[in-house]
Amino acid sequence: MKSLRISPIGKRVIFVFIIFGAFALLKNSFATYDSILSIVQGIAFVGIASAFLTLLITSGEFDISIGANAALAAIVAGELVAKSHLSLWLSIFLTLLVGLVIGAINGAVVLIAKVPSFIATIAMLFIARSFSVYISQAKAIENFPGLWKGFKGSVMGQYFSIIVMLVVILIGEFILNYTTFGKVIAAIGANKEAARIAGINVIRTKFILFMLTGVGAALAGVVADIHFSSARSSLGTGWELYAIAGLVIGGTSLFGGRGTVVGLLIGLLLMQIIASGMVAGGIDPWWQTVITGVIVLISLGIDRKRKKVFVNE
Amino acid sequence: MSEKSTGQYALEMSHISKNFGPVIALHDVDLKIRNGYIHGLIGQNGAGKSTLMKILSGYYPSGTFDGEIIVAGNNVELKSPRDAQQSGIAIVPQEITVAGTLTVAENILLSEFNKRGLKLYAKRDEDKAIEKFLADNGIPLVSSQLVDTLTLPQKQILMIASALYMNPKVLVLDEPTSSLTNDEIGTLFSIVRNLKVKGYTTVFITHKIAEIMDLCDSVSILRDGQVVYETDRTHFNSDTLISNMIGRSIGELYPTKNVIKSDAPVVLSVTDLIVENPRKPGEKMLDAFSFELRAGEILGLGGLVGSGRTEILKALFRENNVLAGKIQLGDGKVYGDAIPDALDAGIAYITEDRKIEGLLFNMTIRGNLTASIMQVLSAKGVLKRKSEKEIAKETSKSLSVKPSDIEAMIGNLSGGNQQKVLIGKSLLVKPLIFMLDEPTKGVDIASKAEIYQIIHDLVEKGAGVLLVSSEFPELLAISHRVIVFANGKYQGEMVGDIDKEHELMLMAIGGK
Repeated sequence: MKSLRISPIGKRVIFVFIIFGAFALLKNSFATYDSILSIVQGIAFVGIASAFLTLLITSGEFDISIGANAALAAIVAGELVAKSHLSLWLSIFLTLLVGLVIGAINGAVVLIAKVPSFIATIAMLFIARSFSVYISQAKAIENFPGLWKGFKGSVMGQYFSIIVMLVVILIGEFILNYTTFGKVIAAIGANKEAARIAGINVIRTKFILFMLTGVGAALAGVVADIHFSSARSSLGTGWELYAIAGLVIGGTSLFGGRGTVVGLLIGLLLMQIIASGMVAGGIDPWWQTVITGVIVLISLGIDRKRKKVFVNE
Repeated sequence: MSEKSTGQYALEMSHISKNFGPVIALHDVDLKIRNGYIHGLIGQNGAGKSTLMKILSGYYPSGTFDGEIIVAGNNVELKSPRDAQQSGIAIVPQEITVAGTLTVAENILLSEFNKRGLKLYAKRDEDKAIEKFLADNGIPLVSSQLVDTLTLPQKQILMIASALYMNPKVLVLDEPTSSLTNDEIGTLFSIVRNLKVKGYTTVFITHKIAEIMDLCDSVSILRDGQVVYETDRTHFNSDTLISNMIGRSIGELYPTKNVIKSDAPVVLSVTDLIVENPRKPGEKMLDAFSFELRAGEILGLGGLVGSGRTEILKALFRENNVLAGKIQLGDGKVYGDAIPDALDAGIAYITEDRKIEGLLFNMTIRGNLTASIMQVLSAKGVLKRKSEKEIAKETSKSLSVKPSDIEAMIGNLSGGNQQKVLIGKSLLVKPLIFMLDEPTKGVDIASKAEIYQIIHDLVEKGAGVLLVSSEFPELLAISHRVIVFANGKYQGEMVGDIDKEHELMLMAIGGK
């Protein structure tokens, strides 16, 4: 059983090393510490925003609005700190609360009004994105005070977003695959009726996951603010697509029932390595997206035994 | 009237009545199940079994019915499936409902996980504990196996194990054998018997008398929403059970049978046919058999669910393989072995599974009716909208499909009207042989009468009909002749006579 769960991840890790090695051979500077750091840095925000999304998807629902939610959070935090001069912690708290509310609205629309989550959260994507542009008047918010600003350029500032991502991903992976709650999530995604028979409150569980996803997305916005010492409403554009691609490459079933947050990390890393490698190798960046698409398809075939997972039952 | 509970009953349901509008589903039903008994609950489709179980499972919450439920001496009010569970009632539904991406142990522990909330899941320890639980209860499953890799009967057994793990006071098995083979049923029975030894109380729902005779300690028979008979094992008698299960007046539900013309030609003849078992390629479903179908005749295929009736129809339609034997049309011609060949030969197959195989659910009545005659309705590949509409309207009207608007979506129609559209769709290709598989399944009584009339009209016009139905009165009342299959064998032929239901039942369970 152990081999069943570990081995697909193992295969993917090996694949990542092979791709990385290939680029490193192509261009020596690719294997430097700075280069690796910038690759990991490149996926930090989307990684934070989509870690809990993995849990939601494993339960059989979707959230397309994570990028827009992160942008709104970035702007709200920016407004609170830089313009309203609230304290750092209070600002962060209020911002995460906004993310929670957005997740709760998504959850309510999907679970109570019974709108399919794909559609409900596309609507939220437009709404949240528009609010972030409106509030900021499409201008970047700069001039962050105190600790907020102090991060920029410091050693802590350099690693901050990566550390948060790793923590969030490990928390997500722990909940999903090492706790009883995680098994409940997977059971709901695998067969809602079976979960219901076991006495599980499916709607409540999914509602929690929608809110958790909302908080995760907002956290990504806050961390981006801290990292850049500025807030922009354009943050998070296209994250939902990278998240989906990363999840598929990582081995999560988009129809629910099986998910891995570590797999998501590997999927995102792989895409980022290819993107950076292309740039470093002087290859036309146009190829980058083509290759990403191909990788998504290949990853579906990596473990053919799981083919069933991708067929909606 | 009502006796005081004395503690000898695991479950008492008393004076249960439930109406759906003017329709009385259950009338003053009393069900008492002794501690440690395997109690059979039998009745035909529509007798009220599932309504009663939905009340017991909390699906119809207390307040929506009259009467009271007492579990192990305690009066309970069941407002939700959760309440039922907490009161000690575990129901194993008929449909397979398991979480395929989880292991056996995780499925069994699901109810437990739910109570625990966010706790560390120690896989190895849990696997060990479940391994012990399975062994203790004589359940042949491996705790660490992924459920997606289990066979259908294993999944069925897993559902029982999951219910058992909740340590219920009453375990309810709703038609657990409906999709199992004889061997698998044997395994299931030994598990249930073993549970009895352990002191569990089981309610076993079925419509197969043989299973009651084999397994149960006591039985209640539901008919037309009432308990018409109850007894203990010492008084079991299959004749009495059958006659109590049936015994209904038929009224004017069925049209008068047409007389087959003496010179009516044979439209289909089957000689020494051996049909393949679609679930076990290369193996036969039934021993060789032969029959003839004449123009204007309705030939019923009798037997229990799983006796091979559907497989015979599918073999004739070329959806299932044939291992040996001959299938000839009226003129002695044979046809190719693909579905289009069967269609060209004038064979129409109206499937049991309307939802999956028959209808285009996102389309209108019109679109569904004309789906098979698109080529006829087109000129040079362009659809002639006007004639399509006319034909659809005409057909819909002749079958009295409701609503009369042919642009209504199929998904919004009642089961009976969906069935009519399905028949109409086949009608338009003007076939010579109609094969109808459970045409009145899940259909209300008024629509049933209309469907019988439609079938009657088909043969009046000279078509031959092969009919499969699990409702024996219906099968006998509609068919001129019925050929019966049981235990993988052709059992014989009988005249379609509604009073012969007893005989048919005996034949269908494999004789006395």
